[in-house]
Amino acid sequence: MWLALAWRNLWRNSRRTLITVAALGLGVLAITFLHTYRESVYGQLLDNVTSGALGHLQIHAAGWQKNPELERVIADPAAAEAAVRKSLPGAKIAPRVLGYGLAGSGEQSTGAAVFGLDPSREQADLRFVTIAKGKHLSAAGQREALVGIDLAEQLGVGVGGEIVLVGAAVDGSVANDRYTVVGLADAGSGELNGSGVFLHLADAQAFFGLGAGVHQLVVRLAGGGEDVSRPTAQLQAQLSNAELEVLSWDKIVPELKATMTEKRKAQAALAYVLFALVGLGVLNAMTMATLERTRELGVLASLGTRPRQLLGMILLEGLLQGALGVAVGAALTVATVYAVGDISLEAFAKQDMLGIRFPSTIHLALHWGGLLQALQVALWTALVGSLLPAWRAARMKPAEATRSY
Amino acid sequence: MTFAVHLRKLLHGALAQGSVLLALCAVAAVKPPEASAQEPPDLPPCPSQAEKPDVPRLIQRIQRLLEGASSTAVMTMTIRTPTWSRTLKLQTWAKGRDLALVRVLEGGPRDTGMMTLKRDKQLWNWLPQAARVMKLPSAMLGDGWMGSDLTNDDLVRGTSLVDDFDAKVTGITKLSGGEAWNVVLIAKPNAPTVWGKLEMQIDRARCLPVLERFFDEDGRPVRSLLFSDFRSAGWRQFPAKTTVVPEAKGRETVLQYLEFQFDVAIPDDTFSLQRLRQGR
Repeated sequence: MWLALAWRNLWRNSRRTLITVAALGLGVLAITFLHTYRESVYGQLLDNVTSGALGHLQIHAAGWQKNPELERVIADPAAAEAAVRKSLPGAKIAPRVLGYGLAGSGEQSTGAAVFGLDPSREQADLRFVTIAKGKHLSAAGQREALVGIDLAEQLGVGVGGEIVLVGAAVDGSVANDRYTVVGLADAGSGELNGSGVFLHLADAQAFFGLGAGVHQLVVRLAGGGEDVSRPTAQLQAQLSNAELEVLSWDKIVPELKATMTEKRKAQAALAYVLFALVGLGVLNAMTMATLERTRELGVLASLGTRPRQLLGMILLEGLLQGALGVAVGAALTVATVYAVGDISLEAFAKQDMLGIRFPSTIHLALHWGGLLQALQVALWTALVGSLLPAWRAARMKPAEATRSY
Repeated sequence: MTFAVHLRKLLHGALAQGSVLLALCAVAAVKPPEASAQEPPDLPPCPSQAEKPDVPRLIQRIQRLLEGASSTAVMTMTIRTPTWSRTLKLQTWAKGRDLALVRVLEGGPRDTGMMTLKRDKQLWNWLPQAARVMKLPSAMLGDGWMGSDLTNDDLVRGTSLVDDFDAKVTGITKLSGGEAWNVVLIAKPNAPTVWGKLEMQIDRARCLPVLERFFDEDGRPVRSLLFSDFRSAGWRQFPAKTTVVPEAKGRETVLQYLEFQFDVAIPDDTFSLQRLRQGR
């Protein structure tokens, strides 16, 4: 009965109720849309990162991440790979070598990061580079090279050209050799595109004199996700080798994780400010609604309605408006997300964030977490906003109230 | 990922060797031309008796001793680092301060036959396995040699001790079998040198340095050069062994002359880039 009463009361001044509901709805829309956009960006960014340079997890020789010296290799990558397969079924693994040298072509030369990768392991959702021009490295090491697109431009070398590399091998000798450029590579960051040379793993191992050693085993998990602490622990337990370190992506680029956390906090604060404003609107509307009905509420009280019941009825009115607001907001959000679909960030496409290429297109995917959060906040807002008017209504003296017009 | 940092750091390692090679050119280039046993008349004499010698004249003498027209030499270079050590056998040709060539006579399978040519202020490498010549990028000439035991400044520009520094004698140090002047050289303001300060110990009898310590512009020690095994060539004496000890970490580079010839005729095409491109 109280619900029906509250519901009927809402529509006695339907314009005011609609305005309040609209304010709540727009608040919900703003919060959930921002949440959805942010999480879509992060999801995509994370997917880019974990499918490219970083993977979800990496295995190195102990201390390599901190001090990536050439001689710090995983001496037995096969054993480490076996441990990954055992502890993390379905995970993909890409072995990589990372060294430095000078790259030259004709009269031009400049510093370069020299990577070794196994083209047969670099596919689909785990690949360091995408081929911008030409083709990928051959399956066996044939002294072929992929050159970062910007580095290629700097050196004036194209597909079919030749690149000379010089560096220091692990035994101190001068590593030097020349390679045929078979393709230009986009490695997903301006830094790598401007300095990266990618050789076949075997060629890079020979160049730096590493034997079978590699610097990274990059692991892409089957499930993925942002929190990979459990698979990390599982792999660590399986490896049980003090010579090796297992690092998750958020330990490799802690800045990225920190930025995400920071932005999430900032947006949560924004949400609360927004709803505080909406809450004032609710307060205003409910105050008006109870003032207008002072006499009527007085009559109700005189007829024996208890203050608790009055309080409940008015709070229920607030809650109903909140629920309506959430429904409207959710509908608007869903409609907006599906109407917008993809957001092109072409204008920022060349920008890197912390050395990671920002995705050029964001596909918006609804985040139920955001909606749930907005639902809670909106209901609380409506409830708190109507608390004061409800309290006053419950406490007024019936005699005085009935005398007011 | 801080690739730029790694890149810089590791490039220094990669280039360290090259720089040591090139530094030899400077060492070789400063070998004297005159074969006569008589000192040239315009050379400032060695003021062995003076407690406080006229430092500019003393340094002039040293520079004259260590500057020459042409020379060839064969030497070994031993590099020791915490993770590896190796010895290379090198041959050098030098003409004046601007032309020099170093060839690796014996090294590893990949770097035997490697050559480095210095022409004026530019450096080229012949890479035997790649069978190509690579010019050292000027950015590396500018700042790339810091991780090495000898600096690029030693080779390409060459600090002038007379022009760039204010020098004074600060005391006497006892050496085994002699005494040395302690000389402190402070870089003049705006001098085109990478060093802030040099400390030298100059053997009084020979008038040649036995120790040089180099400090950067903030006064931090960077490296020491130790000279020993003094030999005679005509009227000159020179150290046949140079040990470079960088301040950084467990590294050391030792240059030991096996053969040396001064004032020899070297054909100009020895320093030709065309010839280098053919790997000869």
